[in-house]
Amino acid sequence: MLKKLLFKNQDKKQLIIAMIGAFMGITFLITSIHYLIKVNEFGEGADILGPNTIIVQKKVSNSSSLNLTKTDFSESEIQKMKNEPFIEDVQPVISNNFDVSFETADPMVPRFRTDVFIQTIDPEFLDVKSDKWHWKEGDEFVPIVLPRDFLVMLNTFMSAQGIPQVSDDLAKDVKFKFTLKNDTDKEWVDARIIGFTNEVASILVPESFMKYGNDKYSTEKEKKITQIMIAGKESEFGRVEEMLNERGLESKNSQMVVGRLKSMVGTLFLVVLGISVIAVFVSGLVLIQYMQLLMSRNAYEVRTLLRIGYPPKMLINHFFIYFVKVFGIISASGLAVFFIFKFFLDEMFESGGLYIDTTLSYQSVLSLLFAYLIFSVASYRNAQKGIFKDY
Amino acid sequence: MNIRFEQVMPFPLSSIKHGEESIWGNKVRFDSGEKVILNASSGKGKSTFTMTTLGLRHDYSGNVFYNDNDIRSMSYEDWTNIRQTKISVVFQDLQLFPKLTVRENLKLKNDLSPVYTEEELRSLLNQLGIANKWNQECGILSMGQQQRVAIIRALAQPFEWILLDEPFSHLDEENTQKCLTLIHQRCDEQRAGFILTTLGDDHGTKYDREQKL
Repeated sequence: MLKKLLFKNQDKKQLIIAMIGAFMGITFLITSIHYLIKVNEFGEGADILGPNTIIVQKKVSNSSSLNLTKTDFSESEIQKMKNEPFIEDVQPVISNNFDVSFETADPMVPRFRTDVFIQTIDPEFLDVKSDKWHWKEGDEFVPIVLPRDFLVMLNTFMSAQGIPQVSDDLAKDVKFKFTLKNDTDKEWVDARIIGFTNEVASILVPESFMKYGNDKYSTEKEKKITQIMIAGKESEFGRVEEMLNERGLESKNSQMVVGRLKSMVGTLFLVVLGISVIAVFVSGLVLIQYMQLLMSRNAYEVRTLLRIGYPPKMLINHFFIYFVKVFGIISASGLAVFFIFKFFLDEMFESGGLYIDTTLSYQSVLSLLFAYLIFSVASYRNAQKGIFKDY
Repeated sequence: MNIRFEQVMPFPLSSIKHGEESIWGNKVRFDSGEKVILNASSGKGKSTFTMTTLGLRHDYSGNVFYNDNDIRSMSYEDWTNIRQTKISVVFQDLQLFPKLTVRENLKLKNDLSPVYTEEELRSLLNQLGIANKWNQECGILSMGQQQRVAIIRALAQPFEWILLDEPFSHLDEENTQKCLTLIHQRCDEQRAGFILTTLGDDHGTKYDREQKL
């Protein structure tokens, strides 16, 4: 009876318009948050280097070939880049300053030996557990990250020898060894692969191993820094790229393409997210305003009910529950349509070659709960204000 | 529950001169169970008295007490309890819900603190000659019929006092007497009192005293 008294006298057209607005806002809010997160996660775990990370060097020009311009990085150059707001971190890539060769040392695999170039980078940039990425003198083996191209080369060699090729996992069980030497000394150190990278052309070793080799076998003075690692912030890749162009730096093209793509799609979803937040906010306001209108249309009924002994809380709850139910219907519909969108969008991404993780991101559900909570609190406060105004 | 008015002066009535017997500006006490006729001409504040007593108007100086509690200090919960179980009222403008039927108007009140069954409510309507209006919207009833519905609604709760603000203004003498019989009966059942405001006519009913405004 109370429901009939309080909610019969309303213009449902306005309510339906507000509900459609909120429904669209909620649907796009969940969708954009979900895909923003999935796009940012894209590429994570595919490489042992962390996400949004690139290795850059200075472009080699004719003048640098003639030693007229430098190709190495000074401390101040690195510091300046670190200070840029879109840069997460910058660290030098340290190279070997001694002769080193790499060979298989496993009876199951034919002997394969080659001189190599080894490098070390800050562990912060590597997507490996820190307990695996360390070495000290006397350790059984030195952990290494191998360029995937190197494995391809090894497999080509093995195929030519008529031996079965090895997979990533199998390669991690194969024993290798480094030979470190200078004119007077020579030493062998066992090595094991702990991961692969597509982004670095050299074998990566822990910093302690590099220091050991450089201290013991180096024939030159301090080595110059010719490569650095840059970690950009999420969706800021355009600015990182701009900086590289301004400073005459270059990176491997595949790294740039992925970064550019992520940045572009991320920005697109960020724009949609912004519009969705505004839509949810505005339609929430319209719903709240509608509630105020409904209460003012029912001012006589509310006042009379209070006068004949109805508790204010009972009336507040009636308005509050009504609008929470309305928002509940909007949210449930928004979530259902999101799942339909997700089904088609995931298929579209997949057919376009973008294998985005299809599991539901908890942040999108959290955003819905957050919007629901905000609306519920606003509805309750509004109902409270409206009822006590007539007390 | 006793009701006391101490030096109460509604601001809109402060420019009018009130006598020593008047409620306004003097000390007046209504003892529990008393049946009082509040007699005054138009514009002397009969409705103001009803609204002030029920805590619906606050534009006055002085103090109103229920027993020893100043009504200004009462909370929302206190007022809800008072309006549900202590003081009932027939407003001068009735304050029914015109879009609801007679049944719905009565049930809306009765369901708060149930006193009557639906059958008993119909029987009360029957005693006042409007049983056939049970499913009609209140808004289409005549003023006299609406007054009778409002009186039954006021009786459909437990109370210690019932405030009746010119409740028979649209009723003929026969229906007035029927209403008064019901009111007396219900007051006696609960040892409750009434304060009946009139324009000078006591309708020949029994009462304990007359109070001037």
